[in-house]
Amino acid sequence: MTLLQTHISADPAAPLARRNPVAKIGAALLPLLALLVSVDPVTSTLLLAAALASVPAWGLRWRGLVRRLWPLGLAVAMVALGNAVFTDRKGGETLLDLGPLLVTTESLAAGAVAGLRVAAIALPGVLAVLTIDPVDLADALVQQLRVPPRFAYGSLAAFRLAPLTAAEWEVLGRSRRARGLGGDRNPFAAASVLAGRLFALLVGAVRRGTQLAAAMDARGFDSTAQRTSARRQAFARADAALVAGSVALTAAAVTLAVVTGAWNPVLG
Amino acid sequence: MAQSRSQDQTDHLGRQRWRTVDIVVASVLGVTFGLLFAVWNNLIYTTVSGPLDGTPTGPLVAGVWLLPAVVGGLVIRKAGAALYTEVVAATLSIFFGSVWGLSVFMSGVWQGLGAELVFALLLYRRWGLGAAVLAGGGAGVAMGVYEIIVSVPQYSADWKLVYVLCAIATGLVVAGVLGHLLVRALARTGVLASFASGRTQSEI
Repeated sequence: MTLLQTHISADPAAPLARRNPVAKIGAALLPLLALLVSVDPVTSTLLLAAALASVPAWGLRWRGLVRRLWPLGLAVAMVALGNAVFTDRKGGETLLDLGPLLVTTESLAAGAVAGLRVAAIALPGVLAVLTIDPVDLADALVQQLRVPPRFAYGSLAAFRLAPLTAAEWEVLGRSRRARGLGGDRNPFAAASVLAGRLFALLVGAVRRGTQLAAAMDARGFDSTAQRTSARRQAFARADAALVAGSVALTAAAVTLAVVTGAWNPVLG
Repeated sequence: MAQSRSQDQTDHLGRQRWRTVDIVVASVLGVTFGLLFAVWNNLIYTTVSGPLDGTPTGPLVAGVWLLPAVVGGLVIRKAGAALYTEVVAATLSIFFGSVWGLSVFMSGVWQGLGAELVFALLLYRRWGLGAAVLAGGGAGVAMGVYEIIVSVPQYSADWKLVYVLCAIATGLVVAGVLGHLLVRALARTGVLASFASGRTQSEI
């Protein structure tokens, strides 16, 4: 059992991949917020279609994306099915009737909208994050959003420990195996070995974090003096255009939903 | 008199200011739980909890997402620690292949706020089992409410209630009780020596 670090190849020179990380996240977050407000097929379909259409502009390939996102497909299907079964909109023709398990045309439609909406909520953020490098993100958070640098770079330092921690996970598993632990077919025995391995990982991580903090303090990380940046993150016109495009797209989708009467506030 | 009050205030502020070790260890806890999330996403989510996703009992296996908020709060014992740790964990799991994108970030913010609010209501002075369980419950409420908006908006009101109650139950038990035991076990190993949470529980 490995900690998968699924890397996906993206073309870093693609028009949207080159944008400022803060702009990418802002552009992906806006449709998400609009979708949270309403449950309707119009906004969901339009925003999902826009996200799908933007895939090549992020420099992502369909094959890699599908390989990476198949669990999303599974989850979307389950969300649609669950909503169809447990909704109280049971009008229309009966499609399946097994006592409490009743699916009708209307409930199936309700489920399909819920599934579509969840896919539209997830996809833009996935595309944006797949093309963001954590180092660029930390720089942009500090330089564009004025996030306190101690927190941005402190968490970046911990992010950089992640591959080390993942490697340690392997070592812990092998050392346990060498002592005859692990490899059980009984899931309860396997879970207990796994819990011990996770705890050891956590202890090691905290210890390493404490040492890292001491080393960072020794180099003046806690200093209150004015900081300068070694790497500049620019927020150019194209970045503003990306955010503006997202605003326009979201506004258009919401307007269309309201005009067609499909708009349906989730808390209404 | 006035001087002693200002002394008190600076002491209080001093206790609340995050030291480097607070920031880095909270981040490292977030990253480690984020890796756990990645394992969960790649193995358990696709086999166990994914198929349960749309059912009212789905949240019962989701308590693991709330652990970083409780553990971060209990270890660091500073204002904002629960929220920060949960957000770092959520962010790492996005970078390591969560298929839910920025929705995970939003979940992290709400769940962290749920736990943070409980610690704040206890004035950042209670860190025992009771506080842990309540914080887990707070995170559970936040998770339940956010998920009925995102995942199961079409449920009937009764089933939505069942869904939220399941989320609260998992928050109380998995995040609260398990989180408390985890922090106590961490304190026993001695790695929390730089924190108040590691000093109060020394055993003979």
